[in-house]
Amino acid sequence: MRRFLSILSATVFSAAFSASLLPGAARAGEASVPVLVPLTGFLSLEGTSQRNGAVLALKDAPAGVAVRSEVIDTGTSPEAAVTALERAAGGKVTAVAASMLGTQMLAMLPLAQDYGIPLVTVSGTASITEQGNPWVFRFFPGDAVTKEAHARYVAEELGKKRPAVIYQTTAYGQSGKAHLEQAFKKLGVEPVFEEGVDPAAKDLLPVLTKALAAKPDVLVLHLHSGPTALFIRQAAANGVAVPIVAGSAMHQPSTAALLEPAELKGVCAETAASPISGGSPEVEAFTAAYRAAFNAEPDAFALGQYDGIRMVLAAVQAGAGTAEAVRKALSAGTHQGLAMTYRSDGKGNMAHSAVIVCYDGASRVPAIAKRYDNVTGVVTGMAK
Amino acid sequence: MRNGVRKLWALAPTLTLPRFAGEGIGVAVLVAYALLYASPYGLRVLTVAGVYALAAIGFQIVFGLGGALSLAHGAFFGIGAYATGILGSQWGLGFAATFPVSLLVPLLLALLVGLPVLRLESHYFALATLGIAQVVHLLAVNSPGLTGGANGLPGVPGIVLFGWAVPRGLPLAAAVWGFVALGGLVAWRLARGHWGRALTLVRDDPLAAGTLGLDVGGLRLAAFALSAVYAGAAGALAVHTQRVVSPEVLEFPVMVSVLTIAVVGGRGRVAGAILGAVLLLHLPEWFRFLERSYLIVYGVALLATIVLAPHGLTGLLDRLFPSRPAPLPEPAAPPETAIPTGPLLRVEGLTKGFGGVRAVDGVSLTLEAATITGLIGPNGSGKTTLVNLISGLETPDGGRVMMGNSDMAGQRPDRIARAGIARTFQAVSLPEGANVLAAVAAARLERDGSIALAEAHALWALERLGAADLAAKPCAGLPAALRRRVELARALARQPAVLLLDEPAAGLTDGEKAELAGHLRAIAATGTALLVVEHDMGFLLPLAGHVLCLDQGRPLYEGPPEGVRSDPAVVAAYLGEGV
Repeated sequence: MRRFLSILSATVFSAAFSASLLPGAARAGEASVPVLVPLTGFLSLEGTSQRNGAVLALKDAPAGVAVRSEVIDTGTSPEAAVTALERAAGGKVTAVAASMLGTQMLAMLPLAQDYGIPLVTVSGTASITEQGNPWVFRFFPGDAVTKEAHARYVAEELGKKRPAVIYQTTAYGQSGKAHLEQAFKKLGVEPVFEEGVDPAAKDLLPVLTKALAAKPDVLVLHLHSGPTALFIRQAAANGVAVPIVAGSAMHQPSTAALLEPAELKGVCAETAASPISGGSPEVEAFTAAYRAAFNAEPDAFALGQYDGIRMVLAAVQAGAGTAEAVRKALSAGTHQGLAMTYRSDGKGNMAHSAVIVCYDGASRVPAIAKRYDNVTGVVTGMAK
Repeated sequence: MRNGVRKLWALAPTLTLPRFAGEGIGVAVLVAYALLYASPYGLRVLTVAGVYALAAIGFQIVFGLGGALSLAHGAFFGIGAYATGILGSQWGLGFAATFPVSLLVPLLLALLVGLPVLRLESHYFALATLGIAQVVHLLAVNSPGLTGGANGLPGVPGIVLFGWAVPRGLPLAAAVWGFVALGGLVAWRLARGHWGRALTLVRDDPLAAGTLGLDVGGLRLAAFALSAVYAGAAGALAVHTQRVVSPEVLEFPVMVSVLTIAVVGGRGRVAGAILGAVLLLHLPEWFRFLERSYLIVYGVALLATIVLAPHGLTGLLDRLFPSRPAPLPEPAAPPETAIPTGPLLRVEGLTKGFGGVRAVDGVSLTLEAATITGLIGPNGSGKTTLVNLISGLETPDGGRVMMGNSDMAGQRPDRIARAGIARTFQAVSLPEGANVLAAVAAARLERDGSIALAEAHALWALERLGAADLAAKPCAGLPAALRRRVELARALARQPAVLLLDEPAAGLTDGEKAELAGHLRAIAATGTALLVVEHDMGFLLPLAGHVLCLDQGRPLYEGPPEGVRSDPAVVAAYLGEGV
């Protein structure tokens, strides 16, 4: 019922939102920002967060900026994403809120370059900003940032030296696993166990058992939402005492909703941000607005996409009247977002901070345990 | 629901069109849309529809014509995609090199895996091919060094034809649809020719196909391999259109899309593949504005299509706008085949057991030219098993089946059929979707150079049995007596030296039996040796010159028909005590 209400709220809000964007409003600038995200398929939860974040940012457009937008489901295939981009490109486009799925982004990049459309995404897949394409902007810390925070928390804060790494056999999982390996290596830590898990796996007890047989001192997860919840539930049911530090999927309220608070006790996770954990009046206001609009809890993807679209709109408000002007503004500017300060590293990586959140076993709202700001040192004037 | 659909059918107007008028109109509409109306987005969707049309055309060969539900088709699509992706993005090779490789790799894999899996029956075959697809997907995901892993490989170059880099939009759509046209034409010619007819018979009745001289295994393997080539070509074009290859091309949704296209478009039809692909790729786009709810509308639309058009869209169009039927050919007698005199078939000590049961136990018999031999015995005595052993549908445990100097025991049915043995079945089996002429012409596919010639010879066979007027009628719905006659005509069209008939008089009236007896005597008079399995002694004993009676797989009596009723062992075992 809760999920139904959430979908209903989102749909009603989207309709109201579209109606509010009819031409005729007074404007200093005009922005057309299609939202092309996965609303169906295995990434529908995350994609819906992404959609909601973008829609909320467009609804809260700065004064004098009129926005036009439509939401198109990209599913999970690269082909559908390219088709959606081609469809969106039929009109004058300022920027696109683009899918968080790495393979879809890789497919959309050449077309975005051909059409000259900035893609604003929260995809964590490292390779999307390694193609030399100047039209991609990632408002979510890449694996180079989050996995360094992940590994540093495990090694420096928890003092663990024998991690077992369990990752997903998807682009997200393989990219994260590769960066975890590098980060652990830099810290002088050698994982005692590494195994990939298919996202369709219905029982993770076998991999948990194998991991425990390697006698790890910490379980490091890099799984999607559903598998993360399943793994933690099975670990709790089997009385596993080894601490768990999960990937960003764990911080999502929709993941925590799949578990009892007691099952979450002691579990930590890396993420870009945790809006439901609060931290500032602005973040709390965002969370309240999000809940009111969508009858759902916001996560880091929603906040990242919100911040990204807000930066686009700020550029338009500042006079960027074309997609090229917006691209330049995103490439060269600095934006103080709700989650962090954003600035491009020259490749389109805008986010350089991550946090570690932990659950106390009493509620599904985690507390921020550690911040890792400006991990890459890109944001000038901010300490690493 | 079914009745409602039938009523709708009945109300539908019927307008007879010249042949291929519908296809011509469809092509004209498609070209006009692409040239005059389609936006870049429209052309993109059309291009992707072309990719899926090509994949579905290939699937029509293995599934539509061959009847094999190959769930590896999506894997072959993905393998073609990866061949192009790896060679194009990692090795820097161009379209001229990558495209042939994308056809060749799926072909070789299909030949390799086809040999074992094509032996499996229906759902086991589907499961085995699904397993192949899963293995290929796992390999792609877990071999990042070669495939880029789950991220895939970006930077795949576009299509380059004769030094011209085909740009996105209309040129790319035209290039893809050019391949669709070429592939469609090849598939259409194959489907309408010998090969397609033979494959259809293999789909409808593989046992009968084998006994009509068709190499069932070879045909299935060829269909499987050819479909893989089409899938590989489609996969290569898919990668060129999206410029990245990732494991999604190997995932089950690709397979489901192709299967849905084939079913919605019309099973076995090239036009169905194209129509289905165009519709199914555009349908979700039309409802995209509904965000995630479009899937519900899409599902309802698909369901409605399947309910209202159970034979696919092409079947619906055929019903609404039937083509003028092709005229019947002039009957023509096939070239005479010299049937030798004397013994044509010698069965020596044939044995067959099923578990602990000896179904045939040391049976010997000789069939002389121009004679009719009756084979009788109680139910379960081994009569049909003996016919199956002789015709190759069962492999004997021991003994010999001599045709001249050749031992045919254990040979494939098609080889035995080519040696001159034809048969009919206890339960008449005719392809329900075909008309009588096509069903009988199937017997000539292995021998005649063209479909027209095969049909002319088939009409000759029908005429011999006084059934030429049935030629244009569909096999489905024929009464039992006529079905038996059509099946006999099909066996006769083989011009067999030896004809094995399994209960040919079952279900016939006395008048029909008398007519059948006359036909069998006429066939025997041409030199053919007949073995007739029958329970009806009133029909068989006056007809046969020689009778063999089996009981529990063993010969009980062999001799003239007059001796059957007086042999105490036969009376006890078969006719019953006290008769």
